[in-house]
Amino acid sequence: MKGRTLRRVFVWELPVRIFHWLNALAIVVLCVTGYLIGNPPALMSNVEASNRYLFGIIRFLHLAAAYIFIFNFIFRIYWGFVGNKYAQWRNFIPTNRTYFKELWKVFRIDILLKPRTEHLSVGHNALAGFMYFFIFLASAFMVLTGFGLFAGMSTWWLPKLFAWVPSLFGDSEFSVRNWHHSVMWLFVVFTIIHVYLVMFHDYVEGRGELSSMGGGWKFIEEEVFEADQQAEKEAEKVKTRA
Amino acid sequence: MTAPTETKTRPTYYEELRERGYSRRDFMKFCTVMAAYLGLETSGAAQISKALMTTPRLPVIWLHFQECTCCSESFIRSSHPMVADIILDKISLDYSETLMAASGHAAEAVMQKTMKDHYGEYVLCVEGSVSDYGDGEFCCIGGKSSRDILKEAAAGAKAIIGWGSCACNGCVQAAKPNPTHATPIHKLVRGKPIIKVPGCPPIGEVMAGTLIHIITFGTLPELDRVGRPKAFYSKRVHDSCYRRPYYDAGLFVESFDDENSKKGYCLYKVGCKGPMTYNSCGVIKWNNGTSYPIQSGHGCFGCTEENYWDNGPIYKQMASFPGFGIESNADKIGMVAAGAAVAGVAIHALATNVQKMGLIKKAIQEGKEAEHELKNPLSES
Amino acid sequence: MSANRIVIDPITRIEGHLRIEAEIQNGKVTDAYSAGTMVRLLEEILKGRDPRDAWAFVGRVCGVCTTVHSLASVRSVEDALDIVVPPNAEMVRSIMFVAQYLHDHVVHFYHLHAMDWVDVVNALKADPKKTSELAQSISNWPKSSPGYFSDLQKRIGRFVESGQLGIFANGYWGHPAYKLPPEVNLIGLAHYLEALEWQKEIVRIHAIFGGKNPHPNFLVGGMACAIGLDDASGINAERLAYVDQLLREAKTFVEQVYIPDLLAIASFYKDWGAIGGGLGSYLAYGDLPVNGYRDESSFKFPSGVILNKDISKVYDVDLRKDEEVQEFVQRSWYKYEGGDDKGLHPWKGETVLNYTGPKPPYEHLNVEEKYSFLKTPRWNGNAVEVGPLARVLVGYARGREDFKEVVDAALSKLEVPVTALFSTLGRTAARGLETALVAGWAREFYDSLITNLKNGDDRMAATEKFDPKTWPAQAQGVGHTEAPRGALAHWIVIQDQKIDNYQLVVPTTWNASPRDPEGKSSAYEAALKDTPVANPEQPVEILRTIHSFDPCMACAVH
Ligand code: HEM
Ligand code: HEM
Ligand code: NFV
Ligand code: SF4
Ligand code: SF4
Ligand code: F3S
Ligand SMILES: [Mg+2]
Repeated sequence: MKGRTLRRVFVWELPVRIFHWLNALAIVVLCVTGYLIGNPPALMSNVEASNRYLFGIIRFLHLAAAYIFIFNFIFRIYWGFVGNKYAQWRNFIPTNRTYFKELWKVFRIDILLKPRTEHLSVGHNALAGFMYFFIFLASAFMVLTGFGLFAGMSTWWLPKLFAWVPSLFGDSEFSVRNWHHSVMWLFVVFTIIHVYLVMFHDYVEGRGELSSMGGGWKFIEEEVFEADQQAEKEAEKVKTRA
Repeated sequence: MTAPTETKTRPTYYEELRERGYSRRDFMKFCTVMAAYLGLETSGAAQISKALMTTPRLPVIWLHFQECTCCSESFIRSSHPMVADIILDKISLDYSETLMAASGHAAEAVMQKTMKDHYGEYVLCVEGSVSDYGDGEFCCIGGKSSRDILKEAAAGAKAIIGWGSCACNGCVQAAKPNPTHATPIHKLVRGKPIIKVPGCPPIGEVMAGTLIHIITFGTLPELDRVGRPKAFYSKRVHDSCYRRPYYDAGLFVESFDDENSKKGYCLYKVGCKGPMTYNSCGVIKWNNGTSYPIQSGHGCFGCTEENYWDNGPIYKQMASFPGFGIESNADKIGMVAAGAAVAGVAIHALATNVQKMGLIKKAIQEGKEAEHELKNPLSES
Repeated sequence: MSANRIVIDPITRIEGHLRIEAEIQNGKVTDAYSAGTMVRLLEEILKGRDPRDAWAFVGRVCGVCTTVHSLASVRSVEDALDIVVPPNAEMVRSIMFVAQYLHDHVVHFYHLHAMDWVDVVNALKADPKKTSELAQSISNWPKSSPGYFSDLQKRIGRFVESGQLGIFANGYWGHPAYKLPPEVNLIGLAHYLEALEWQKEIVRIHAIFGGKNPHPNFLVGGMACAIGLDDASGINAERLAYVDQLLREAKTFVEQVYIPDLLAIASFYKDWGAIGGGLGSYLAYGDLPVNGYRDESSFKFPSGVILNKDISKVYDVDLRKDEEVQEFVQRSWYKYEGGDDKGLHPWKGETVLNYTGPKPPYEHLNVEEKYSFLKTPRWNGNAVEVGPLARVLVGYARGREDFKEVVDAALSKLEVPVTALFSTLGRTAARGLETALVAGWAREFYDSLITNLKNGDDRMAATEKFDPKTWPAQAQGVGHTEAPRGALAHWIVIQDQKIDNYQLVVPTTWNASPRDPEGKSSAYEAALKDTPVANPEQPVEILRTIHSFDPCMACAVH
């Protein structure tokens, strides 16, 4: 067992980390305020309505978080093209056979708890990447439906750009809202599983998975890293030859 | 085609009103109110008055299909003193099953005559949905199917107005499972301008205002993306609701007839759909400004919107989830899903510890071994 | 098809799509068929929905008798779930009921029925001065000066000259059946227009309590309009004063316009006191509780059945009994699982379409088989008529003083015997008489609401059982009322908090339905028998009898 050297690998660049935490924060705020908008708590109070603006504040927070969420999201898409290889958009969208193979392998190991024979990836594993892809789609959906709802109450041109969204829902804002609300639960479920899996990996693999979103490093076996680098060079060669 | 001389001798609205003893002041007041309803600047009143002083009567054919006649009823509630008069006397309501004297063949003949004599000039008003099923047997008038009648009457119409939610979105008979295939008119008529005036029913003044716009300006009113006159359907009920401050303050009626309802708090939690509904209820109000649903303690249930009968239950903010019973909604299902996720995670954690016991032990062991090799700086010295 | 068969379709000045086919021989109707030709199938659409929402769906059955279906609906749910409505809500519902009658009956008389009796074109010949004298001799209504009538006459003259006759185009003007002198025609026309103005006022009561009209809001357990005596929204002193004023003005209109016109016109058409009687059997469920809906003895309109014109005997009605109220589909475009010749009590009712009629466009229906979308309701197997005449007769036969008073006064004024009630004229007169009655009763409901509020009871809804969790797994109920057009009831079956079955049996269904399996006609068909028809091309007499029922086909088929 001795001699297995771990190497510190810089995986998550600062922009990715900032994105991640802004995103996490925005989603938590959006879910909480969104839920409250849909299900306002019963507050008995003798305060005059003119002296309070509680619900207005909740809606303000939701919309403020929504703006952070959107621009952050747009930035992340940009970074998917210019960031390091771990941040590349290819990590999320299955484009080749190896991706699908890895999906299956991760599923066996992480979910079916089959024994781990090899280390798979340095950045996201394929399954995680795929899940993020889904959550990105869901984010786009929330942006569309959210702005679609907002268009009707806003006078600013940006939200107004989304006035056509209800036509996707049979011209019913009620449906837009219902969908917007329902898909929130996807985020809740994702977060539960995501946070757990991050901890799970950290626990069973001991590579600093959890803290990687803080400092950016993971600890990877030397030989895995070398293999990874090698694979990349091969790919590069294929590209230049073509 | 009407001969131009005939048009000239026909009295204008203004002349007829004067005939009937309305003063010029009454007339100008009416024009101002109408201008306000139509969302025009003050100069708009002058425009309306000019139009009404010079325009002859517009032929109108008003058809009824699958409906309850509430739209006609609402129309005759249109309340500014002269509106009902103008609609009855100043348009030429040539065919209206609700009001016309003639029946049967005699009525049919009137419609045919207008369709011929005023081809391309008349406005076709449709109240009700069309049954687009089989041979059209679920809605027949004079032995003809509603589908055929609509197509025939639409051919020579200058424009079509869809009154009420029936004509605009199918309304109650189009609610699931829509057994008669009740269909809004815009799905059956192509190539004609269609103005949708939804609502169950629409507000009388909104109906009158839509017609007045056509008479006054000779053009169709500007429509929103869905095809409704912007003047009346561009704002959410929620945005003009006088209970809005309570909404913003987070003060809600929790159940009907509770203390909060007596104080007029916001009806959101008892199912008000005002935030998703476009109509002028909070502005024009109903029955000459007497009240509107929210003012009388009941939430808005979105009667102008597509599909609103299937957006229930009425007393809930969210639709019930199809197939899960009336009390189910996305939140209930979502909570179950979140609960399942937590449970799954817990089981997974347990299984991991059991299954991978060896692996984990090894990892811990490795760590310990590595630790042994480290020099302890304290013991060193 | 026989050569003397005439078809009147559409019948106009009614609600909805009614077709009459009539056999005419020697200037008289020998047989008639009444068909409803539009269907929406709300009873099926309601299945699986929240019982608390049903009132809104069934409200849309009709925008003319708006409110009555919603009322029957909330009552059916309250009956099923054993909910007792607070007294304030009962009073509010009764005041809305009265407003509905006032509106519906006045609009029927002037805008739907009058042109059968009033010759609009002939009014141009009237002498305004004589018209004014006549008007002042029958009523104190202030708008009756010669100038008023001459202005009106000029306006109508211009209208006719313009060549664009609008709603009056192609009417049966000049038909020999029109008997009124020009002056009465002119009064009728004047009041046509005044009633059009007035009708939009009375319904403000619906807006005050229900938010809008047509289609005001109801609520299972009471009403949604909370009492808020100390708040600007909600029912407060200003809102109540508004209602008070509207009720007063309405009473004046009925007493000074509707009733005098009715009697004046009727006096020229006494022969119609012997035409259009039809079945001679009548049914009323009763309504307008003074002491709560559960106490039927407190109803202002009593319930009961009269058979074969025998007003010495009134039978009781039980809507829960399996054999009393049943619907048949032998001649209707539906099918029953157990056979179309069977009758079904509404709790077990079925609404499954089975169109067997001709393919449109068609000339004639095949009246030997199924020929209508209306089902055929029967009371203990009897065909009965419902509506104002039934209510007035039942009240009269039950010996209620207020009924006797108005009926006897009208009979003596017209100098006709009590048997003249069983007729087209009687039907039209009864509608006016009950309008006068309810306009008077309204005061009691209003006062009783105020007294209740004074006593500190400000409840408007019972909400303990609003939450479906409090409901039993299975429940069934029936809610009834007296709609303007007659006895109305809704039957509901609730299973697991959802509507399992919902059946409406509606006034116009009673009256306008096709024949039953025994071949017996319902009220319209029976009433048309022997109606004279001077000119089959202009069947104004048929319209008179049909309109006297005030048909509502959207109701009848639903
Ligand atoms: C993860 C992202 C988001 C989640 C989980 C979320 C969740 C929610 C929820 C649950 C509601 C309440 C719906 C209801 O009334 O039943 C809501 C309302 C709303 N959301 Fe979002 N939302 C998200 C993103 C956005 C975005 C990007 C926008 C863009 C502007 C937005 C705009 C709105 C608006 C306008 C409303 C309606 C608020 C109102 O009626 O006052 N949301 N959201
Ligand atoms: C609302 C909560 C959260 C959301 C929505 C969320 C979402 C995401 C997303 C979208 C990524 C992909 C990042 C990228 O490369 O673009 C990601 C990665 C990651 N997140 Fe989160 N996260 C949440 C909370 C957390 C928390 C609480 C932690 C840890 C303490 C965490 C740790 C990580 C880690 C380590 C990765 C990279 C994992 C890998 O690629 O395998 N996340 N998260
Ligand atoms: N028939 C009928 Fe109705 C009434 N009155 C309802 O119950 O009209 Ni539409
Ligand atoms: S839109 Fe509503 S109110 Fe109008 S006819 Fe249809 S059901 Fe009746
Ligand atoms: S009552 Fe309805 S429309 Fe008014 S503020 Fe509340 S939610 Fe909005
Ligand atoms: S239900 Fe309709 S009437 Fe107005 S308040 Fe809502 S849009
Ligand atoms: Mg029925």
